[in-house]
Amino acid sequence: MPREHYQDSLDELRSDVLSMGDLVTERLGDSLAAVERRDESLARAVADGDDEVNETYLALEDRCVDLFALQQPVAGDLRFVTASFKIITDLERIGDLAVNLANYSLAARETVAPEVAIDAIGAASRGLLERSLAAYETGDAAACRAVAAGDDEVDALCQRASESVTRELIAGTDDDGWAAERLLDDVSRVLLTVRDLERIGDHAVNIAARTLYMVENDPELLY
Amino acid sequence: MSENQNPQTQTSTATTDTDQPLTTTTGETDERTRDEWTDYEFRGEAKMTVDDLDVYYGDDHALKGVSMEIPERSVTALIGPSGCGKSTYLRCLNRMNDRIKSATIDGSVRFDGQEIYQDGVNLVELRKRVGMVFQSPNPFPKSIRENIAYGPKKHGDLDTGLLARLLNRSDAEERDRLVERCLRDAALWDEVSDRLDDNALGLSGGQQQRLCIARCLSVDPEIILMDEPASALDPIATAKIEDLIEDLAEEYTVVIVTHNMQQAARISDQTAVFLTGGELVEYGDTDQVFEDPHSERVEDYITGKFG
Repeated sequence: MPREHYQDSLDELRSDVLSMGDLVTERLGDSLAAVERRDESLARAVADGDDEVNETYLALEDRCVDLFALQQPVAGDLRFVTASFKIITDLERIGDLAVNLANYSLAARETVAPEVAIDAIGAASRGLLERSLAAYETGDAAACRAVAAGDDEVDALCQRASESVTRELIAGTDDDGWAAERLLDDVSRVLLTVRDLERIGDHAVNIAARTLYMVENDPELLY
Repeated sequence: MSENQNPQTQTSTATTDTDQPLTTTTGETDERTRDEWTDYEFRGEAKMTVDDLDVYYGDDHALKGVSMEIPERSVTALIGPSGCGKSTYLRCLNRMNDRIKSATIDGSVRFDGQEIYQDGVNLVELRKRVGMVFQSPNPFPKSIRENIAYGPKKHGDLDTGLLARLLNRSDAEERDRLVERCLRDAALWDEVSDRLDDNALGLSGGQQQRLCIARCLSVDPEIILMDEPASALDPIATAKIEDLIEDLAEEYTVVIVTHNMQQAARISDQTAVFLTGGELVEYGDTDQVFEDPHSERVEDYITGKFG
């Protein structure tokens, strides 16, 4: 087969994007554990580890640019490099959101906000991320569409959680002033947590959308 | 042999019906195995319509049942590995293959609806209207001015005679206007306007190739066929030729054979991919062919997996 080195560099890119995916998935898992267990040291480790994610992102971005400039990929190769170039941006953003989650957990002391199913939403978002990366690895178009459908479930969980927190906030204003103020802080934090988990789901859908474009040249999920 | 005569190399049976193919072999198309990705519906008018074209060099079946329509005022690129028949195909479009004694051509090529493979076609006139630029620049060993004026003079286009005399205008003025127009159209005027009487062989390779394009334009063609016109040029000269080709496509129909796939991707509106065995495997909009080819064989070829 001609252009063996070029083919090797494409294989290497795929493998390294998946490694970045593993790294970000691990960080997301750690941040969710930090939220759930209020584990301060784990939360700090996630925040401190963001540089590694960013450096990985920049190195892969360079790799994609080099492939465009030096190898001029076309057809399926072009779609693969283009999709990978976009997917690493989504992974980097998920890394940032994992840091946000970790920081929220650091800010949370003794919460008076209502218990919402953060762990369930987190598990669902993380599940979407894992499934989108698996679809990228295997080039599975059906799995890409399933990720997009799965995001509806995450959105619904987030919606319910937000409504529940808001109702609690309204009810809390009848209490003493100090409780309402504490509640407001907690509510804001919980709502931000829910929002970031929802965004993680959206990024997972982006990964699936780019993968579907890569596999079938189908822009169906892009917008 | 005069090119006006029906060449012996052509095995066609003569017909005077311009809408009819010269010859077809009944049933042969159905038996061929051909990818299905050649039914390309382009926008605009077809300048040339090729139908079931076969070319043999002796026993070698060089081109197999090629059918395609070439849109006017656009760039059509023909790509494929060496020996795939793309240059053979290009040369069929102005009957240059007639000059090869062992060549047998079967099928139909219509230019503005007129069959070019029929008796009575004036090949000199055909090749004026369907000009050609070759891989290596081949200027005449004459001055730059004479290179441009040679064709029109030969064809008598400059002998406006009576009108020129009535207006008391010399043919030289007419000729110089033509020389300037062609050199401007070929993006060469600014580089040579002060040395039109210098020998053309003193120009650089890239300038010589643009001079050959200017020479081609001087006889007022409608289609310009280019056979790897930039393969012998450096990147800067190549870029100038590519720019020129895109400009020319506003007025002319350009068909270009190139080994440089990125060049095809950069400058063409539609791309035809020929693969070994003389088959047209895929024909479509250039962005579609290079982003999402329908044929797996084409994908393998353009991504370099085709060995």
